[in-house]
Amino acid sequence: MTPSLLDLVKTRTVLFDGALGTELMARGLGPGVPPELWNIERPDAVKEVHAAYFKAGSDVVSTNSFGGTSLKLAAHGLEGRAFELNRAAARLAREAAPAGRYVAGSMGPTGKFLKPQGPATEPELVAAYAEQARGLAEGGVDLFIIETQYDLREALAGLKGAQSVSSLPVFVTLTFSAFPRGHFTIMGDPAARSAAALESAGAAAVGANCNLTSEQMVGCVGAIRAAVSLPVIAQANAGQPVVLADGTIGYSQTLEDYVRFVPEIVSAGAGFVGGCCGTNPATIRAMARAIRGEEKA
Amino acid sequence: MTKNEIFPKMSEAIVAGDRDAARSLAEDAVRSGLDLLEVIEQGYLPGIQKVGDLWERGEYFLPELISSAEAMKAAMAVLDPELNRKGVGTRMSGKVVIGTIEGDIHDIGKNLVASMLQAGGFEVFDLGADVKLDRFIDKAEEVGAGMICLSALLTTTMMNQRRFITLLRDRGLRDKYKVLVGGAPASRKWAEEIGADGYAENAVAAVKLARSLAGRP
Repeated sequence: MTPSLLDLVKTRTVLFDGALGTELMARGLGPGVPPELWNIERPDAVKEVHAAYFKAGSDVVSTNSFGGTSLKLAAHGLEGRAFELNRAAARLAREAAPAGRYVAGSMGPTGKFLKPQGPATEPELVAAYAEQARGLAEGGVDLFIIETQYDLREALAGLKGAQSVSSLPVFVTLTFSAFPRGHFTIMGDPAARSAAALESAGAAAVGANCNLTSEQMVGCVGAIRAAVSLPVIAQANAGQPVVLADGTIGYSQTLEDYVRFVPEIVSAGAGFVGGCCGTNPATIRAMARAIRGEEKA
Repeated sequence: MTKNEIFPKMSEAIVAGDRDAARSLAEDAVRSGLDLLEVIEQGYLPGIQKVGDLWERGEYFLPELISSAEAMKAAMAVLDPELNRKGVGTRMSGKVVIGTIEGDIHDIGKNLVASMLQAGGFEVFDLGADVKLDRFIDKAEEVGAGMICLSALLTTTMMNQRRFITLLRDRGLRDKYKVLVGGAPASRKWAEEIGADGYAENAVAAVKLARSLAGRP
């Protein structure tokens, strides 16, 4: 029988996947098209990306549902299809998953600020995340990952929403910037205190993703590790997007430079690692070698 | 109150994000017959400048930035009508058309830049998100703007910033407008490559840049 992900992480470092949106773009997803629509319109392309990550060594892939709250889908007039699009996202990842691998239901920010900075209220956010979580659970995810959160209050609302409809584990990642004083979200939530608050609220794992390079992620993981007893998850960016000489878009960290810091991220205390913007199956393949090589040594 | 007494209080009200104080100080200034352009330039704007410094140092975050911009708006809501009445003109720094570019629905950063530009003395026409390229130009022509600001969060939609410059050129209007680009994937190098007039990394830097391009200190 497949062990639960939380048991597995007690025995070894667990590998998530890398960026999804850019992989879909490489398969023809055009600007302005919400990626979640492809769960219905181009299911084979979505499955192909998940399969590529599993093949590269991912233990867990995240579903194509990052923008799948009704509040986010509303920008495309798709708010009425949130449940359907999320259920489809979960089913596709499930179908792509070999036996013994895992599917995380991705839930990104709604894009709405809570009062007083914006118009949203906590119950609205809780309801939106609850609806998304219902769709993902129905489609067969093993866990939820509430990710790229920039406001601790929204992350907590998301956690509450997921918990209200399912008993599956909920992972939460926030997106931090590095300052001389430490790591903070754009709302000013400090890494350690945010992680502790999420632990108290019942998250199964907490951590950081996006924005930080793999080098910067090392310090951030250390700060979170010291604040919680939960497993820590880290999914760094391959730096920042840059325009390359030929006019195409690349990221400031090369694959070698990115992967070089992965063992340090693990030593700093991350049990779950994966990639974010600028990473791809090749990155994950190299990460798999880095973390599994280290464990043998 | 004399200028020396009231100007630091104005700056403090902005730094503290205190709307009520910012508003009532503006009302005092009107009642006392102070030079209102001086009030803005030497009273309120140094506060915005300080907020910018605190933001860049990681002391202030988005909630503080938004509160300060709101305090500035509260002051300007008092000062604007007075300046209009006196025929001095609403905004010293000019008109700006801003929006998130075609194909991109991300507007958090753009909203912040719009607020800060407004706080920084510009009259801002915010077209929202997923704005067709032609609409930026049509609006700028309609309102007599001097500057157009294009936001893009995605590496794909960023390409529309380049298309916009081409479109502006095709319509024979390139030299009429300063074009600023921003958003996570944009950079100074990108701005140079596509022939934009400038790039700013964040909302505070955007105000500095816009003011300098508009010939303001």
